[in-house]
Amino acid sequence: MAFLSKEASLALVQRVHRLIGMKNGVTPHDAPQRRRQRSAPRPGAERFDVIVVGAGPAGSAAALVAARAGLKVLLLERGEYPGSKNVSGAAFYGSAILHELIPNWWEQAPVERHLTRRVLAFMTAETSVAIDFRTTRFAEPPYNGFSILRPRFDRWFADQAVAAGAFLLNAAVVDEVLWEDDQVVGVRVRRDEGDLRADVVIACDGANSFLAKNAGLQREFHAHEMSLGVKEVLALDEATIRERFHLYDNDGLAIEYIGAITEEVSGGGFLYTNRDSLSLGVIGQISSLAEHRRRPYELLETFKRHPSVAPLVRGGRVREYSAHIIPEAGWNMLPKLYTGGMLVAGDAAALCFVAGLYLEGINYAIQSGIAAGETAVAAHRERDFSARSLARYLERLRARYVLTDFANYRHAPGLVNSPRLQNLYPELIAGAAEQVFRVNGGPKRKLLPIALDTLRRANISPIHMLQDAWQAGRSFGW
Amino acid sequence: MRIAVCLKQVPDPTTVEVDPLTAALDARRLLYIAGPADTAALEVALQLAGAEGHVSALCVGPPAADAVLRQALAAGAAEARRLWAPFLPLQSPAQTALLLAAALQRGETPDLVLCGARSSDHGSGQVPALLAEFLDWPVVCDVTQITVEGGLARVQRRLDRGAREELEVPLPAALAVEAGIARLRHASLTGLMRAERAAIPVSELDDLGLEPADLAFPAPTARMVTPPRPRTRPIFTPDSTRPAHERITQIITAGVTRKSGKVLEGPPEQMADVLVEFLRERGFV
Repeated sequence: MAFLSKEASLALVQRVHRLIGMKNGVTPHDAPQRRRQRSAPRPGAERFDVIVVGAGPAGSAAALVAARAGLKVLLLERGEYPGSKNVSGAAFYGSAILHELIPNWWEQAPVERHLTRRVLAFMTAETSVAIDFRTTRFAEPPYNGFSILRPRFDRWFADQAVAAGAFLLNAAVVDEVLWEDDQVVGVRVRRDEGDLRADVVIACDGANSFLAKNAGLQREFHAHEMSLGVKEVLALDEATIRERFHLYDNDGLAIEYIGAITEEVSGGGFLYTNRDSLSLGVIGQISSLAEHRRRPYELLETFKRHPSVAPLVRGGRVREYSAHIIPEAGWNMLPKLYTGGMLVAGDAAALCFVAGLYLEGINYAIQSGIAAGETAVAAHRERDFSARSLARYLERLRARYVLTDFANYRHAPGLVNSPRLQNLYPELIAGAAEQVFRVNGGPKRKLLPIALDTLRRANISPIHMLQDAWQAGRSFGW
Repeated sequence: MRIAVCLKQVPDPTTVEVDPLTAALDARRLLYIAGPADTAALEVALQLAGAEGHVSALCVGPPAADAVLRQALAAGAAEARRLWAPFLPLQSPAQTALLLAAALQRGETPDLVLCGARSSDHGSGQVPALLAEFLDWPVVCDVTQITVEGGLARVQRRLDRGAREELEVPLPAALAVEAGIARLRHASLTGLMRAERAAIPVSELDDLGLEPADLAFPAPTARMVTPPRPRTRPIFTPDSTRPAHERITQIITAGVTRKSGKVLEGPPEQMADVLVEFLRERGFV
């Protein structure tokens, strides 16, 4: 994995800004979609039944499903090997989904720890209030979630697709999709003689999907829809991790942080335990990073120095430093998920579920990959690759609760990124908790006066409170 | 023209991690690639062979080394072969060279064998010379330029201090190519797919007509030689009785004070007094 220096991470932010068309922190309005030059494949291009672009969780799942059905599948990967380009906080909650595809997958896959403890922490600069959930029931097969290291996990998952008969080609960057009439019929790889034909192209090329944009399925993003995550992997020996996080054997912990951890920037932090390392990082909304002129690595340093985080990471040696963009707006930035001859899955379809309580993506990537694979198989059975035939992808996504989840939680990303939820409410919760627990010789006050007092001092209008309560209810409640 | 290229898989330097405490390499994180000198040799071979020529790639290594050979196939090598003795510890350059020589002597003999001048891990640079010895061919090491005319290779060799030597070598010959003289071409998609699909044949000792005993070279006697400790050099410490600014000046100048004369002025008696005082101070009088 590449080790990014701080300069490099700044350069990355700037590149991300350029990528998503943001200038000096100002987001452009939707640029009218340019009518792109559409090229047709050169004669003699090799033909496949299905080409999957990107060997991440979505791509490998799609390739696995299609290859098992006996189709001739090509899985293209940009990196030197699947997973070499991947960055992930690496908490994977789709164990049951993968179990359906590969029974008892955890016995053979390179997993780190099964997560039995989830913590949601509200932070201010000096204080934290946390909800700590722990159950031994998550330590039984099929488990609820695992911490994983993506370079190893992705490689293993892609190998499963290869074992099922898919053909994996590494170091192949796809430059554009190829058309005949209004039907996608293949892709062009950035190499000599790089044209390839396929009846169905499944784009799983990750956040900021080049292919979805190239095919005109996705618009340009706004800076407020994307977040930048920076992550470190800190090496720490197994015994220390077990003691420090109160874990048995191979149990694991996932902490999500909300509040002052990212200062005035909208975002949050996370910390997961691996077998002999910690993955931790911060996520910052790109528009607010630009607005407040903050560099992501500064936030990561602040995060690591926070009094409730510092003792957890003490003594850890940095093994990796990496950064990636995360599509955060959920339902509001879903692209058109299909067109004639093409499907979009995983992060490429912006299927990343970021809603405060939840921070999930790999499970939806696998679900959508399976759905895309099944759609391709069904289309092959009927020899119909038109947009109308592939539209049944949406039904499959609904049946797997992918689209329904995103629709139900469509208000959550906006709420989670609002300044009051980001900074004010964690402050209030922490402040109130401090008043409850502080003993200073004064009278012991009851809870209601403390609550009212806190609200009065916060100087927040009741109307805003009601608005937020309504928003919260609409996002998470009903 | 038939050219054989000998490749070696070496750890990718970006994946090498050293434990600061034990100085041990973390083998789990290592990824293997073809070294820079080897890829340069491969590119030179492909250029020399052109469209009509035939380039074959050889590699002594475990099954994982197939990746290096696939890279050669993708770039345009016509065939690849891996050589391996599964249950023998292959360590010395002589063993590697013997396996390569045995493989080259079977089948059609190439006109030219190209190797990387030295691998980027052990880097002893012995294999090309030993290989030429086993084949009884001429060898040129540290080659920076090759042209082939008829049965003759005109090569340029790197000497010390930027000097170059031009040589003519009759073919067949073994040449050890310096890293960086050519950059391996970007493989075409067709080449890449062909390489991925190709089955890489493996030759073991039996196939090469060798016995395990043939590989039992006498172990080289190595003696650890550590350089002598450098002579201790006194570190200049300023005179602690001087005021701070003078001590700082002394440190900055590292105690080197410029020689300076002093011209006395005044009536002769006074000057004589000062002179005597000066000599007495220094213990001359």
